[in-house]
Amino acid sequence: MASAPAARRGTGSPVVTGAAAASAYGRGTEALLSGTLSGRSAFAPVQRFDVTARRVRFAATMPGFPELLTEVTRAAGEACDDASLSPSDRARSPLFLAIHGDPAMPRAPEADKPGFGPEAFAAAVAGGCGLAERDIRCYMSACVAASTAIADAAAMIARGHADRVVVAGGYLVDCDQFALFDAGRVLADDGQVRPFSAGRRGLLLGDGVGAVVIESRESARARRTPPLARIAGWGRSGDAYHPCQPHPEGHGMARAVTAALQRAGIAAEDLGYINAHGSGTGQSDPAEASALRLALGDAAGTVPVSSTKSLHGQALEASGVLELIVTLLAARKGMLPVNAGFLGADDRCRLNLVLGEPLAATPEFAMSLNAAFGGANTALVIGLP
Amino acid sequence: MTPLAPVASPGLAALHGAAAAAGLAVSSSASWPETDADGEVTALAGFIESNFSPLLAEVAGRALRRRDQPPVSGKVTAVVMVTALGDVTSATRVAAAVDAGERVSPLMFFQSVPNAVAGYLAARWHLTGPVVCVSGTSAGLDLAALLIDDADADEALVVRADLAVAGGDGDRAAAILVTGPADRERPLTA
Repeated sequence: MASAPAARRGTGSPVVTGAAAASAYGRGTEALLSGTLSGRSAFAPVQRFDVTARRVRFAATMPGFPELLTEVTRAAGEACDDASLSPSDRARSPLFLAIHGDPAMPRAPEADKPGFGPEAFAAAVAGGCGLAERDIRCYMSACVAASTAIADAAAMIARGHADRVVVAGGYLVDCDQFALFDAGRVLADDGQVRPFSAGRRGLLLGDGVGAVVIESRESARARRTPPLARIAGWGRSGDAYHPCQPHPEGHGMARAVTAALQRAGIAAEDLGYINAHGSGTGQSDPAEASALRLALGDAAGTVPVSSTKSLHGQALEASGVLELIVTLLAARKGMLPVNAGFLGADDRCRLNLVLGEPLAATPEFAMSLNAAFGGANTALVIGLP
Repeated sequence: MTPLAPVASPGLAALHGAAAAAGLAVSSSASWPETDADGEVTALAGFIESNFSPLLAEVAGRALRRRDQPPVSGKVTAVVMVTALGDVTSATRVAAAVDAGERVSPLMFFQSVPNAVAGYLAARWHLTGPVVCVSGTSAGLDLAALLIDDADADEALVVRADLAVAGGDGDRAAAILVTGPADRERPLTA
């Protein structure tokens, strides 16, 4: 495994003061928490667009035809409300937005395409909920887009480069990405995502929209707003292995996990829960299990692990923020979601999976992992305040 | 023999300006087109129908080959991609195929996100740092500085690529390899 220097960070303490989400379980964080703790996955035959020509016909979607701009703007605004941000607070808060792009761009007339860039989309979101017009940043790094945005926001706040950042992400299951994933033969043809399980058959897409307000502890204290959680640690790394396959031994992800623990100033044994990347694909799950063994040692066999993608699906660019919110809500509730769809052990994925029913536990620290094409990996550690 | 005429690269100038603003030193740089010899970009195995990934790979390779010192073993290099619209060609062709009820090539799945070519670059040049794609040049260089300050990377390869749309300028790309200056602030490890 390539060595890496010890992770550094600024001395500030970034905290989460507001959160909002939407998924196939409905709008709002209560719906997301109750849905994931129900243990029942949200996958169903797709009604939103025609899938008759597809090999696989399942996804986790909200009813009807939600619009991405509306949903992301609503979530960002609700996160600001949750954080009790005043209009002037909002006007000083930049937006970091994780999206694939404006869904209208591919079908826009050629001459109009420049107006359908992600920054224009983000500016519309920011304008719609009163956030700053400046310093808007868009992340398009596939399934680590939102988690990277959260890591960057935390790192900037820790260094005093920013007082507050609103991080949002959004993906709504669409016909183009569905066709691409179907063509890539990575979708689970049995209609279930079974992370780390024998007999797993792939991933399934899911609607996911999430937003968090991240700010310095001092900023939250000055506003008399109690934090929901701390962003205690973060790590990002690359595999340098393949355009679209993870390193089989998880070297890159192990470095991201190690860096996140270093920044949090905790040992592997201090982790009380891991919401794994857990895509449910043949190659990714063993690589992630190997990464956890490399980075955590013996603790990899004891810390409770589940992948909530088995419940709400793969939300692509929004995964990182949706899954961080699930992790945060579950830790605060003291109930850890199940790793759904499990059929039996895979010796290459030996982890202490939460199976059967949610696990009552109150982790002081929990980790959310994400990985993406390009060998990109992120690890986020939250601490309960 | 007629010397090759250089082609101005506003994108490269913007990368240099943003690097300076972020307090980063530039080790090497490249652009496309760089001279009037840059006509068709070389195809990249496994990537089809669009110049986006080949362009990124070409300028990144040029910048990496020109680095002023040979790479140090164990050095961690981040890959930061910057693009305003991404791979417009691929996205448009996938949408057209879906609307026409045509089969979508599995290769289009693999190149559907900018991370894929970043992964190619990372594997080809052993770049083990974080892989990120953002929308603006300043954001890309600020992010590179943050990754270096946080020791997630020793250096960063920042590549900007924009395909021609709506009859505008041709396909353009630029790349710089940046490091933190020797006297850069080094806050204490937490």
